[in-house]
Amino acid sequence: MNMKKLSLGLAMGLMASIAIVPAAFAQTPGGEIIIASVQGPPSLDAHVTNAQVARNITLHVYETLYARNENGDAVPDLAESVTVSEDGKTYNFKLREGVKFHNGKEMTSEDVVASIERYRDIGVSKTLVAAVDTVAADGPYNVVITLKEPQSVFLDNISSPRAPLAIYPAEEAAKGANEIDYIGTGPFKFVEYIPDSHVTLEKFADYVPNPAYTERDGLAGKKEVLIDKVTFRFIPEAGARTAALESGAVQIVETVDGPTAERLRADPKYIIHDVLPFAFQVIKFNHALAPTDDVNFRKAVQAALDMEEIMEISYADINQVDGGWVFPNSPFATSAGIDQYNVADLEAAKAFLDQSAYNGETVTFITDNLRPNVDVATVVQSRLEAIGVKMDISVADWPTTSKIGFTPNGWNFWTHGFGIEPFEGPGTVMSAWVGGSGQMVPDPEIDRIAGEFNAALTDDAKKALFTEFQQRMFDNMVAIKAGNYGLFQVTNDKVENFVSFRIPRMWGVTLAQ
Amino acid sequence: MSTQALDALPKAQSPFLTFMSRLLDNRSFVIGATLFLFVVLLAVFADVITPYEPNANNFRARLQPPSAEHWFGTDHFGRDILTRVIYGGRLSLTIGIAVVIFTGVFGTLIGAAAGYFRRLDNIIMRFMDALMAFPSILLAITVAATLGASVPNVILALGIATTPHTARIVRASVLVVREMEYVEAARALGAGHARILFRHILANSLAPLIVRLTYVFASVILAEAVLSYLGVGPPPPAPTFGGIIANGRDFMVEAPWVTLFPGLIILFTVLGLNLLGDGLRDVLDPRIKV
Amino acid sequence: MRNYLIRRIISVLPVLFFVSLLSFAVIWIIPGDPTAAFLDASATPEQVEALRDNLGLNKPPLLQVTEWYGQVLTGNLGQSILMRTPVLTAILERLPLTLTLAAMALVLAVLLGVAAGVFAATRRGTWADQTVMTLALLGLSVPDFWLGLLLIVVFAVQLGWFPSGGYVPFMQDPAAWLSSMVLPTLTLAVVQIGFIARMTRSAMLDVINQDFIRTAHAKGLSELYVVTRHGLPNAMMPILTVTGIIAGALLGSAVVVEQVFALPGVGRLIIGAILSRDYPLIQGGLLFLTLIYLLINLGVDLLYAAVDPRVRLE
Repeated sequence: MNMKKLSLGLAMGLMASIAIVPAAFAQTPGGEIIIASVQGPPSLDAHVTNAQVARNITLHVYETLYARNENGDAVPDLAESVTVSEDGKTYNFKLREGVKFHNGKEMTSEDVVASIERYRDIGVSKTLVAAVDTVAADGPYNVVITLKEPQSVFLDNISSPRAPLAIYPAEEAAKGANEIDYIGTGPFKFVEYIPDSHVTLEKFADYVPNPAYTERDGLAGKKEVLIDKVTFRFIPEAGARTAALESGAVQIVETVDGPTAERLRADPKYIIHDVLPFAFQVIKFNHALAPTDDVNFRKAVQAALDMEEIMEISYADINQVDGGWVFPNSPFATSAGIDQYNVADLEAAKAFLDQSAYNGETVTFITDNLRPNVDVATVVQSRLEAIGVKMDISVADWPTTSKIGFTPNGWNFWTHGFGIEPFEGPGTVMSAWVGGSGQMVPDPEIDRIAGEFNAALTDDAKKALFTEFQQRMFDNMVAIKAGNYGLFQVTNDKVENFVSFRIPRMWGVTLAQ
Repeated sequence: MSTQALDALPKAQSPFLTFMSRLLDNRSFVIGATLFLFVVLLAVFADVITPYEPNANNFRARLQPPSAEHWFGTDHFGRDILTRVIYGGRLSLTIGIAVVIFTGVFGTLIGAAAGYFRRLDNIIMRFMDALMAFPSILLAITVAATLGASVPNVILALGIATTPHTARIVRASVLVVREMEYVEAARALGAGHARILFRHILANSLAPLIVRLTYVFASVILAEAVLSYLGVGPPPPAPTFGGIIANGRDFMVEAPWVTLFPGLIILFTVLGLNLLGDGLRDVLDPRIKV
Repeated sequence: MRNYLIRRIISVLPVLFFVSLLSFAVIWIIPGDPTAAFLDASATPEQVEALRDNLGLNKPPLLQVTEWYGQVLTGNLGQSILMRTPVLTAILERLPLTLTLAAMALVLAVLLGVAAGVFAATRRGTWADQTVMTLALLGLSVPDFWLGLLLIVVFAVQLGWFPSGGYVPFMQDPAAWLSSMVLPTLTLAVVQIGFIARMTRSAMLDVINQDFIRTAHAKGLSELYVVTRHGLPNAMMPILTVTGIIAGALLGSAVVVEQVFALPGVGRLIIGAILSRDYPLIQGGLLFLTLIYLLINLGVDLLYAAVDPRVRLE
């Protein structure tokens, strides 16, 4: 760094500290934070990937019209407000004025229209905007969207972080999947991506935080950047990630395992942030293939499992033994069907097994090679062995496993995390089982309940329908939810004002000198 | 190349006894055989020796350091590492034997065909060169990761990766032997190709092949561990040496015993096999190097 | 010599052709496709299909084969699906790291291995010989990734002497670069030191027993002089052979070591490509690694031919 840059940096830092940070804070804004992550993103084109690893980074670079706040509700982000017509079919978004893209251009309705059109065309989660009929600009700062049908969850959909409906400059939005330059409106701008090594973002100097907010709030709120740079470094080996933290090479580790968290907790140099619940651990059944086509067989499996054993082995010290199909803090949480959860009774399981058509064949449990998923399969295998069910565990990488798991052949059991669905809410959790998409054979009851849920207008009606849904999940044993798991995020004592969330948010964070 | 091996075998009295006494005089062989036999016996009598069930979970006893009850400690399932290491020998050694048989059979057939039928030589060996040039660990990863990491697939992957070199060794000794007088004589007496190949040529290519296969065994034990480390080894719950290490990698700093002990057993086994190979080489075919 | 050179170079071509066919076979066998890297379990088959279309993956495979060979002949290995860069660029960016790592390990292995081998050979049968050779054999028998993990625990976590992984480009910070290469180089070299030490010892023993060495000794020349001026040069051929073999093996081991130490080299590039089904990158990467392997072997062969004229006539 030459002197000119240095003094400029100092001057800016000084200005920032006067302008933003109350004098009581000792730290000077600026500096670089390095985060150790497990793996790199497949792409930084937010529209075409719903991978968690991509989201962690893209949500720093891009923004959406509406975004989810701390409670998961949709609140304005790039939009200032929205007015909805009485028939519920026309949404008029008022855009914030003066929002700059990283290339210096101001964001206008033209960019928003182009981005939404691109998403409707090639977005991987374009079902989120399936209700959209037309998208049109109405002057430079208004965008009008008309829907084919009224949709109560429309704002929830367009604010979903799943594969974010990021607003790109119109000229980027004209490009094909995974071909854009990474230009957004977010508080950080993209610097470089060296695959298998790191992604670097730097503070976007012209970023204007949304004036409607005074504080950080989920993925919306006031996004104020108090550091110069953030680097996501990809370190696949767990021990190497921790070593990097302890040597000071990185300041944040995105996720550590239970024993590591326990060790670091004893050291005042580290702060452990428990992000719990983060996701469901779900064990899917293939209803199209014997013997998992038999409800009594599926009930035998549920009755046999000891959920504490499964969750403690897979996610030591960071799990909840909870069978509900929403997170326990959700207003929708209900105990419907829970009496069938975590029974851990081998005799009861054998009784179900006797009623089923199972006659000694070997069942197949597929899983990708993430350790916790393999652990779940291993524990289930050993419990089922105890009631006389023979099981092969088939471990392959994610592309192979998901290829098999999306078809009705070649598997009976499949386990993986359900992260974004419960975050989005009960409607999304239900839709994972609609039309048999998760279990390969449609369940007419589930389809009916989900249909009524989407049309329901009052919270009470929705709650009643969700309770019915959860009861059905157990009565037909559509799938098993083993429990909730969380993440241990670790920061060292240099990182201040870090508040953990679904992604490691780098706005609002400061670095002590 | 194997003239000395020829001399070594058909001497006076009982050739087998001579051979055995030479082997037992060879220190590498004796130490290597002892080490290897020890691991084999552990694996064979695993049921009798081990105090615990290899797959019995007890998460309340997870990641315990080595102690009087658990000499090698426990893993994050609370399973006894010593028990798993001993049982792990079963699958790791089985895979080793299976790959040795695979590469022994295919390497011999391919090498013999290339060495004996000159017309096939070029095309076969170019293909083998291609397989050899293909980084074998990547080949194994590709097969195991994509076809699913079952035991047969791991065997197939490692078998394919080790066969070209074996074929090359067999071919080399076939090339030498086929020009020898007694083979010429057999040919002149009207013996068929099959008879010449199997009775005369292959019998005398055995020495370098056996030495090679010993080293293959050693390399397979190592390769299985690498595949397991990369997440494409044999699936759970059956323990393998590499599988146990892979299971402990996430807790490497807090619970190093989970990775340490199975690694030492691998070292021990491979060392034994390498010494065994050295001994066999010295006795069978002193001219082969490394 | 020139004829030999031409013959050897031409002989590489069919091997490369077979390798490219093999990598096509591999790609046909692999289930799954590049879309999986973009999508989590919440994706539906329709979404997968749409993304396939958008990424241009729905062309018939036969067309891809012919297209690919057409491109390769013009020096173009295609475009990586995930990384959005030409495959050749992606590889060339990663190659220096892998080659440097392999070269450093090779140099270390040759220096230590030859020294250990000569030392053992000149003290044949003594306890020193046995100790060195036992160590060599131990080095040869150790699982490399396991050694790497142990080195991380001891030298990165416990002692904090070296980073646990990651890579710092030389141009950015030479000291940090060196520090980041120490553990990977060591991990990679240990096995090869064992190989070279054993080979050197046995080659030296062959030479030492020959008449001209005895003569040199008889003339009263010093041990060191005899070994370095007479013994070693004559033992070079077999050592060279092993070095050639090792250079190939190093490329394979580098794949694993890059994974352990989170180094962005070619090996990790290809593993990543396999796991994300980035077909053009898998093919280009494998072709390239093979080419390097063949070039190394070609180089060794040519060195032979230069040293020993009989080889050229074979």
